[in-house]
Parts: sequence; C-alpha cells; structure tokens
Amino acid sequence: MPDSPAILIRGLTKTYTSDFWKKPVTALRGLDLEVQRGEIFGFIGPNGAGKTTTLKVLVGLHRPTRGTAQVLGVPTSDARGREKVGFLPERPYFYQHLSARELLRFYGQLLDLGGAALNRRVEHLLERVDMHRVANAPLSGFSKGMLQRVGLAQALLGDPELIILDEPMSGLDPMGRALVRDVILEERDRGRTVFFSSHILHDVETLCTRVAVVIGGRLKGVGAVAELIGSQTTHVELVALGVGEVALPGERVRVAVVGDERRVHQRVPPDQLDAAIQRVHAAGGRVLEAQPMRRTLEDAFVGAVSEARPDGATGAEEGP
Amino acid sequence: MTATLRRLAALALNTFREAVRDRVLYSILFFAAGVILLSLVLQEVTIGDQDKVVRSVGQGAIDLFGSVIAMFLGVSLVYKELERRTVYTILSKPLQRWQFIVGKYLGLMLTVTVELAILLAIYTGLMVAQQGFPEPVVFVSVGLLVVELALLTAWATLFSAYSSPTTASAFTLAVFLIGHLADDIWLFGSQADDATIRAVAQSLYWVLPNFEVFNIREYAVHHRPTPWDRVGPALAYGAGYTAAVLAAAVAVFERKDIK
Repeated sequence: MPDSPAILIRGLTKTYTSDFWKKPVTALRGLDLEVQRGEIFGFIGPNGAGKTTTLKVLVGLHRPTRGTAQVLGVPTSDARGREKVGFLPERPYFYQHLSARELLRFYGQLLDLGGAALNRRVEHLLERVDMHRVANAPLSGFSKGMLQRVGLAQALLGDPELIILDEPMSGLDPMGRALVRDVILEERDRGRTVFFSSHILHDVETLCTRVAVVIGGRLKGVGAVAELIGSQTTHVELVALGVGEVALPGERVRVAVVGDERRVHQRVPPDQLDAAIQRVHAAGGRVLEAQPMRRTLEDAFVGAVSEARPDGATGAEEGP
Repeated sequence: MTATLRRLAALALNTFREAVRDRVLYSILFFAAGVILLSLVLQEVTIGDQDKVVRSVGQGAIDLFGSVIAMFLGVSLVYKELERRTVYTILSKPLQRWQFIVGKYLGLMLTVTVELAILLAIYTGLMVAQQGFPEPVVFVSVGLLVVELALLTAWATLFSAYSSPTTASAFTLAVFLIGHLADDIWLFGSQADDATIRAVAQSLYWVLPNFEVFNIREYAVHHRPTPWDRVGPALAYGAGYTAAVLAAAVAVFERKDIK
C-alpha cells in the first residue's frame, strides 16, 4: 500500500502480564503516532519510556494489548508486512557459531533471497559497513561495535522501505557513528523511511526530519526538530577582556585567566547585548566573542521530561 | 520449493550447523561409540550367548545416547534463542512463529537422525567384523527409535518454549521415564480396586506418551523377524502425537512476548 504512512499507531497500549506473581506493568498507554514515507524520524524518551516496546510491537516481537499498529499499511500481526522492513535491535546478538558472511546469507534466505543476487547483496553490505575484511571470522570474537555494524548490514539486507533502528549509535566509535549517519542519510536520499530511537540527541537533532518524545508510555510531543526547539536565540555567550569587576547585563558564567588576560564569560539576554557591549567598551575592555545560542533538542527534551514528571521519575509504571 | 519451505530449510540447516559446531555433542557421541565398543569387553566376561550381549549392549547404547542427545539439544532449543536474543533479528523478518518452531524442530531432528546414523554405522561395522551384517530388523528398530525421539523432542520443544532449560530438562526427563513406564501404569491401574485410581491411571495412560510402542529392540537383539504389524501403528501413533505436541508448542510460542 504505497499511499499508506510508513508507520501508523493508534491508541497503542502494552501491558506485560507474563509473570503472574507480579503486578502487571504498563509500558505504553494509548500511544498515537504517524510516520510518513521518506522521513528520518527520531523517537526519543528517557529510559523505560516505552521506546523499545514500541519498536518491538512494530516488528512483531510484541503483541499490542490494545490499539493498532501498522507498518507500510499492514497490521504488525501479519508477517508479510515485514517483507520490506529492516530492524536493528539495541545491542544485537547473533549466532556465535557463524561468520558475518554466513549470518547475512542465512538472514537472506529468511527473506527468501538466494543465488547470485543474495551473494552480491551480502558482499555489497559487508563492504558498506566495513566488515568485509573480517567477514569469515566467527562472530564470537567480534566487539560490540563490530556486531553493531553487522546488525546494520542485516537490517538493510532486504533493501527495506522502512528501516527501524533501536539505539543505532550505541557502542560505536566516532567512525562507526559517522558510518551510521551516512547510511541513514543515504537511505533517506533513496526515498526510504528511517525510524530510530536514540539517547544521543545531537544525532537526532542533526539527522531527523521530525521527532517524537515519549515519556511514561505516552506521547508528549511530536513535530519538526525546529518546531520543538524553536529557532529564536535564547541568549548570547559573551567573552570580554579587561572589564575588571564591572557589572554586565545577564549572568556571569565564569572568569578564566589565560596568560595575563582575565576573560569574563557572560550569558547575556539577546535584547541586552548592545548595552553589554557598550559597558565593556566604557570600562576600557574589548569583546573577544559573542556567540548567539539557540535552545538544543536536549534542552527541549529535559524540559519536557521535567514538566511531565516533576518527581524526576521516568519509565514504565505499574498497571491498574 | 515455496518460500515457506525455503525458510524452513534455512532455519533447519542453521540449527543443524549450530549443533554440529557444539563440542559437547561430540563428547556425547564419542562416549556412545566407546560404550558400543565396550560391548566387546563385556562379551569376554559373559557366560552364555556372548554374541547376544554385544548386540544388546550396542543397541542399548544407540537407544540411550540417542535419547540423551535429543533431550540435551531439545530442552534449550527455543529458550536459548530467547536468552541470547538471537530471536530478535529472526522474528523481525517476514517469518511466522510456527515456521520458527517447526524449522528449529526439523533442524534438531536432522541432527538427531545424523547422530543415530553415525552410531548405527559404528554398530554395523562392529557386527560385520564380528557376527556378519545385521538383520534388517535392526535398521527398522533404529528407524522406530527416530520416531520415538521425534516425539520426545517435540515434548522438549514444548517445554523449551515457556521454561528455562533446567525446568524443561526435568519435565522432559519425566515424560521420558513415564513414557517408558506407560504399560506399567496401565497394569497398575487395571489391578487397582479403587475406581478413582483406575480412572486416573487410565487417563494418564491415554494422555501421556507410550514410548514402548516404538520398542522392538528385543526382536533386533534376538534376530527375530520384523514385527510389521507393530511398525505401521507405531508410525501412525508417533506422527499424530508428535504433530499434536508441536501444535501445542506453536500455540504457546504464538502468545509469547519476545523480551
């Protein structure tokens, strides 16, 4: 169904009741979410907010308690919906007895690929994630970052239209993170949809078209990154020399002594910047730097979490 | 071959490959081969039909170690996938859960069958060297053992789908022992005066498996003709019962949240 959203979630509730001697735990509470095709969509929230549970429902590992979830227009209960979905779980685990090449061929067979086409795809992906040199070594000797790269390759194996990644940057060195970012952007350029959860908000901010914030199993906000964080300057970071103890508008952050210089770092409200500069000059000093600062996604996220849970607690709650 | 069959074959071959790369399995196999060859020593210290001792010990070793291998592999078949989280990347593919269970089960049965074939080959080699090529009934007997282990493995798979290997081992061992005592349960029940005990014993007899249905080892050891009138019903019983237990394993796994 090419006209349907890549992901459509309506009133999704998930309660775990597997251990009958424990109280049921509700991880998701009536979650609504819609992800359009071609988006890079970030899914953020504190630990235990329900991010991984949502992802597991989307790929059929968990059944919804209430509500519905569809991927590419197909209910998640139907395995056929996953033919064009690639999934990378958080901290992926693979068969230790296989090599990376054997593993990818095995997964290819589960995707009903075979023959020369599968071999070409496997070799291409091994090279793409820079694992081709160790492709015949058993996975039991792989580091966390190497497993993450193999996991990314298996998620892309079926040339999926929707790629779901749970903490894809986790355990990766800077080179690995750059690789994942490149892959995500490449897939977006090919018209694919990428839906990923992450704790690394800088990556979410720089990569995503839209972001959803989930807290305590509920959606707390969704929109373009610019909408969530706003485009206005929140303050200006001013660095001045030779101002002595002269009071400047705003809040003094620190004073650093570099050689013979005494540098004052001041957080100045944007509308008082002119006044602050005039006072610096009046005191016989000079402005070294004036950096306008915007609200970051992290600021918006921390604000949303504090607002939702003033006690600071996060995560899943015990059910009714 | 349809997509379903190709997926089942991929899962089965991967399960087989995982099993044959497990060193513990080779230890069991090596020990079993040792016991078969030990029958030659026992022969020397036996009074009476010495050839029969070799046949009895050899076939008993195939039976015992085949069952040990089936239980050893079966009890962790599904649990291991859940515990090691390898199942995440499998079930997120366009694969139905019943295909996962059946594919894994078929891989396990392939492993068990290959192990039994190796043990049978060792036994056959021993017989050829000592007493001549074994009677056909020996091969039919091992064939029925495969059917018996298919049923035992299905039970192990069912237990593995919802409990840890330790619990699954205890349950599977209980089924194995009860299954070999089924005729005694019937006998005990039929001789009881109390109607309730009779009813319970008869219910247990019909619900729990009867592995003695598959046991024609006595014919194989004594070189009697194959009891074909037992083989047909045993095959039908094994196939039907195994399918029912596997269906239960699938039903349990279908409802499971993969944590």
